[in-house]
Amino acid sequence: MSYARPHAGVHPVTHLWRKITVTDLGFSSATRVENGKLLIDKGELTALLRSDPNIKDVQLTIARPGDPVRIIPVKDVIEPRLSRIPGYPVFPGVLSAWDPDSDGIPSGEIVSLCGMVVTTVGSIVGFQEGIIDMSGPGARYSLFSGMHHLVLDISVKEGTERHEHEKSVRLAGFKASDYIARSSLDGPLSSGTLETLYNPADPGFHGSGQSGGRKRVPGIAYLYMLQSQGLLHDTYYCGVDVKKMPPRRIVPTEVLFGAIVSGNCVSACDKNTTYHHQNNPIILDLLRGHGVDWDFVGCVITNENVTLGDKQRSSTQAAELIASLDPDGVIVSKEGFGNPDADLMMNCSKIEAHGIKTVLLTDEFAGQDGASQSLVDSHPNADAIVSTGNANEVIVLPPMERVIGDDRVITELAGGSNKCRLPDGSVAIELQALIGSTNQLGFERISSRFK
Amino acid sequence: MAKEIERAGIPVAHICSIITISQTVGANRIVPAVAIPHPLGNPRLPPEEEKEVRRNLLRKALAALQTPIEEQTVFS
Repeated sequence: MSYARPHAGVHPVTHLWRKITVTDLGFSSATRVENGKLLIDKGELTALLRSDPNIKDVQLTIARPGDPVRIIPVKDVIEPRLSRIPGYPVFPGVLSAWDPDSDGIPSGEIVSLCGMVVTTVGSIVGFQEGIIDMSGPGARYSLFSGMHHLVLDISVKEGTERHEHEKSVRLAGFKASDYIARSSLDGPLSSGTLETLYNPADPGFHGSGQSGGRKRVPGIAYLYMLQSQGLLHDTYYCGVDVKKMPPRRIVPTEVLFGAIVSGNCVSACDKNTTYHHQNNPIILDLLRGHGVDWDFVGCVITNENVTLGDKQRSSTQAAELIASLDPDGVIVSKEGFGNPDADLMMNCSKIEAHGIKTVLLTDEFAGQDGASQSLVDSHPNADAIVSTGNANEVIVLPPMERVIGDDRVITELAGGSNKCRLPDGSVAIELQALIGSTNQLGFERISSRFK
Repeated sequence: MAKEIERAGIPVAHICSIITISQTVGANRIVPAVAIPHPLGNPRLPPEEEKEVRRNLLRKALAALQTPIEEQTVFS
């Protein structure tokens, strides 16, 4: 079983996270941040993205919080970041070769542009991409509505196969994000906030643990489930398709560098976009309380595959890896819904069989009235669950003055239907169609209570 | 669906990929299928072998329907 190791010298791996806040976006002749405004060289970025032979055209558009704008169909959302660690790139293994097991994870600084994101849209590939509304009732369900978006509306050449289409759009988002970060952050930086994040010590390391000498606090591990069912439902770790990879430990702050990226065209509400992975709140909270409120003993990533045998094998390996960290309790987060509920229950029951308590984060598909069975699978030991909301709940979204992308696809989104258009131009649609609305990492505000 | 049909007095064999879900939902005769994207076939096999896989699944399901059971049973 391979472990992402810390780079020789510094233990535990420590990352300094600098955040530069962007308050507005605009286009200009040179990409840079000026007085809090990110200016983007449209020509240079467009030329970079069009160097992909599959891409026919890219339209760059800006959307701001409060604008009467609907962005649809959204494929991915990405926060531009720059690694200031020589030789360790952002999106390791994706935009450049990187093997975490031979190269190690070095300590150092990462800088992010906060308050703005790169958002990719394009003609529909998997029928299940979603909506971001920048104002109105839909905006209450997504933190993305409060951010500035550089939207890349990408069209590919005719005849491009669907997986190639998805890959070109996915890589375009990362290239644009990397270009913006390199162009605007690669120099002396004086502003921004700074946070230091200490990772858990490696198992078997007997150095100066942060909790040394203090009273014992509970050991908490995190099992991070990643959608990996193929059929354009995929996630990548250091460029490797996670369905082809056994469960493994990661250094938690690897996610800050974009080690986990989304290639998902699944239901919008509970897929993790790359932004969600870069800012995983479970990892960040566990790191922030590490050594004080609890000992964060480690993070294991695992997949959600499509055969019973693969699900059984992955859940057994994940539970063994978790048990090797010797935690008192484990937080398990799920991605997607339906058959991933079976993976969730197998992970839960096999970890509990090691005598370790679990808490599960999941959304629910309990029908529009909330009265139906909300998960397709269950287990008697799954007795501590945090719900992130009922994705079948219907919301009415009024028409928007401006659409970025193509809103004709709204009836085809998961959560929409051919009857969802109302006479006044509104749409009655399930929360399912809104990007991140029931995110199972706990990004948003809705939940449900057991009555 | 399986439960409603059985409620009407007709036995059901549920062919499904993830049998734990079928068990949770309450099907009585469960026949494991191939995979979620292709429950009744295997595109990696040559056509003759795939036909055999499909034929076997159907035979298993028909046999399950004819087998008296006392509790949830997986016919693997």
